[in-house]
Amino acid sequence: MEALVKKRIKQVLKGDQNAFGEIIELYKDRVFQICYRMLGNRHEAEDMAQEAFIRAYVNISRFNIELKFSTWLYRIATNLCIDRIRKKKPDYYLDAEVPGTEGLNMYSQIPANTKLPEEDVESLELQAMIQQEISKLPEKYRAVIVLKYIEELSLNEISEILELPLGTVKTRIHRGREALRKQLRYV
Amino acid sequence: MTCPTRIIEYMHEYLDEEIEVNHREELKKHLQECEECAIHFHQLKKTIALVQSTSHIQAPASFTENVMAMLPKEQKRVTFRR
Repeated sequence: MEALVKKRIKQVLKGDQNAFGEIIELYKDRVFQICYRMLGNRHEAEDMAQEAFIRAYVNISRFNIELKFSTWLYRIATNLCIDRIRKKKPDYYLDAEVPGTEGLNMYSQIPANTKLPEEDVESLELQAMIQQEISKLPEKYRAVIVLKYIEELSLNEISEILELPLGTVKTRIHRGREALRKQLRYV
Repeated sequence: MTCPTRIIEYMHEYLDEEIEVNHREELKKHLQECEECAIHFHQLKKTIALVQSTSHIQAPASFTENVMAMLPKEQKRVTFRR
């Protein structure tokens, strides 16, 4: 995958904009997912994921081709989300959607007129609840938890994405886990 | 709680798969003796399982076309020709 991406990046650098479309196709789901789990809102996640790809395109000449592209791309996406969270007004939560539900409904592929089996409803509620608790984490813990447990990235990769020392990443993961444990222990 | 704070640290080392053998042994022994810490450890593992159980979601349809339509035109070509 990395080799293919590098080939496409070289094409983009030569002015072939369409090659960037292939890069978007390869990474759109993962970037969207990072944004969605960071922000807890589909609409905002789409905005931020789009912005991440636009920034990657505009700055592609600054990308060091020797490095892993996904690390660089995820860094752009997480930084955008962290900035967005910090800029949010406290009253944001008053009109926020219930996090976690919309995306799941859309992709559960159940016909609209079919009644949901009970366990699916429970599962959707549980998923919404988990997302809500992730959304309550301070952004510095949220980023590491999303990258570690939803994107399943290694501690070293997370350290590179967030440009933080490995020790700091570990501390944040530990605190994030403890904070979530307190919220989710009676589930 | 009278348990040494290092027990919680060992739990996290274990969860990061970076625990040393002697820490692992001490943790294991402690968890067999201390119910409170055993529950704590169980809750941490359950929390991780819950977070991991969230469905993987996909980018909206037409995401790529939308981004492509928003890309600045010609910019790369100009820099390249310089």
